[in-house]
Amino acid sequence: MDAIFVENLTKKYGDNAVLKGVSLKIEEGEFYALMGPNGSGKTTLASILASVRLPNSGKVEIFGKKPDEAKEFIGYLPQENFSSPMLSGKENLMYFAGLLGHSKSEAGRMVDDLLGKIGLSADADKRVSKYSGGMRKRLEVATALFPGVKVLILDEPTTGLDPSARRKFFGLINDVKGEKTTILLITHIGADAELASRVGLIDEGEIIAEGEPEKLKKASGLKNVINIETSIKSGRVAEVLKGFSGEGKVLETDLGYRVYSKDVEAATPKIVRSLDAVGCKALKIEAVRPSLEDVFFKLTERTVREEG
Amino acid sequence: MGQVTAALVKTVKELVREKTVLFWTVAWPIIWVLIGSFSFTGDAPAEVLPAVRGSVTVPMMVFALMMAGMANLPGNIAQDRERGLLSKLMSMPISPWRDLVGRFLGLLVFSCLAVVSVALVGYGVGARFSFTATGALQAVGFLLLIILASAGIGMLIGTFIKNVHGAIMTGVGASVITSAISGVMVPYSALPDLLQAFSRAYPISSANSSIIYLLVGADYAGYTPLTTGQTALTVIISLLLFVAGLIAYSRFCWRKE
Repeated sequence: MDAIFVENLTKKYGDNAVLKGVSLKIEEGEFYALMGPNGSGKTTLASILASVRLPNSGKVEIFGKKPDEAKEFIGYLPQENFSSPMLSGKENLMYFAGLLGHSKSEAGRMVDDLLGKIGLSADADKRVSKYSGGMRKRLEVATALFPGVKVLILDEPTTGLDPSARRKFFGLINDVKGEKTTILLITHIGADAELASRVGLIDEGEIIAEGEPEKLKKASGLKNVINIETSIKSGRVAEVLKGFSGEGKVLETDLGYRVYSKDVEAATPKIVRSLDAVGCKALKIEAVRPSLEDVFFKLTERTVREEG
Repeated sequence: MGQVTAALVKTVKELVREKTVLFWTVAWPIIWVLIGSFSFTGDAPAEVLPAVRGSVTVPMMVFALMMAGMANLPGNIAQDRERGLLSKLMSMPISPWRDLVGRFLGLLVFSCLAVVSVALVGYGVGARFSFTATGALQAVGFLLLIILASAGIGMLIGTFIKNVHGAIMTGVGASVITSAISGVMVPYSALPDLLQAFSRAYPISSANSSIIYLLVGADYAGYTPLTTGQTALTVIISLLLFVAGLIAYSRFCWRKE
């Protein structure tokens, strides 16, 4: 039986169709990442699976049950930091244990165990307002790890975390998940999606590609990617770089651009000179392996991070 | 520990630990008890001073309850929605009604703490009350009606005003304005005819007058609020406000789009 089964799912907000016939199957124990830009419908899909929103049409099943009837299996982490800053880490977990009907002593044991697993035992009695972003996220993950949870739905869990906190976060997920726990990760960060065993790329309410990360990259045909860290970013700089890109496509990144070239070695010195000519320094230039963000860009000609 | 207890404990802890909540719900009414007891009683004969101070203390106890229900409760609801807690709760196998009961009981506990604090300070500065056991029980009943009405208004505000600051400020505004125009903050006799009519219809001010009538004396209430018709009106409107708040909260805050 599939852990998550979605067939021909549609969702509209007024006249705006956010999901346009999405179909998805995730097996028990699988780590699946759904990657797409803001507004692509991925959060809406997660919230329908978590029984927070209703679809307009289509079929959704969690272990063969409707989401409303499968709530005890689901551990859902919304995007926001939902833990109470006025309560301590332990008090927050006791609150969720109480909501799930555990007795005080049972909840106390369970919460101590969870705090140990997420590495917050020493900070258990600190108020959450004193926690770092990473600590708070770890605490919130623990609210989805009470016994009985079979499906973890993580909606943009690493947004706002620094790279170190992001790595620790996924280390935690890896440590705490049971062998049979199914994980659905919603993200717009390629590096996060690469951790999954299977990835779905979603754009404008449709899944446009799906598969194992490496197979997706291979299928994209992308080989030679030049990652350039530039001193400035501007339309003129992008235009210059387009001249070196195979199909005239340049992906803008946080620190510069990525260029898809047929001949990296020949192109690199020319790129440096051309950038110099328009008053831009190439601070770092390197040949890198294609990422899932490159694949998304190739398929849609849009960046996964900045499209609104 | 069930859902109700979990929600109750969380609500009380959040309210008690928030300094601004404590200031506006407990310290602010206490400040007015102190000001009212010493600044506005200069010409009063010594023998009536304890009762005058009693008549100052009761409205401040009522104001504390208004702030708790009409500003703190919607603030708490709006905050939970804004930070995604309501979405998280909707994904869990829990009942909105139990969450609501827990929140309300938490508010009740916090309200009792606020009322007792204000009453103790009033007593400490010389306010005295004269009442029978039945009168005291009736007064507690009217306090409960004030909590119900305030919580009802608070749930309506918290349901329809999504922004945390908006919800709190609307609650504060509603508390201050309605207490000013309904005779909670000013003597009933000083109100114009139209506002006297509002004062009798608004369950919080009519309950306030009833408590003053019961605990301080008929002279301080401004009118006789303990008639069958007036009491029935106070009870019915309080319950209506509370039920309207309950329905709005459970229907709209927990509604799946």
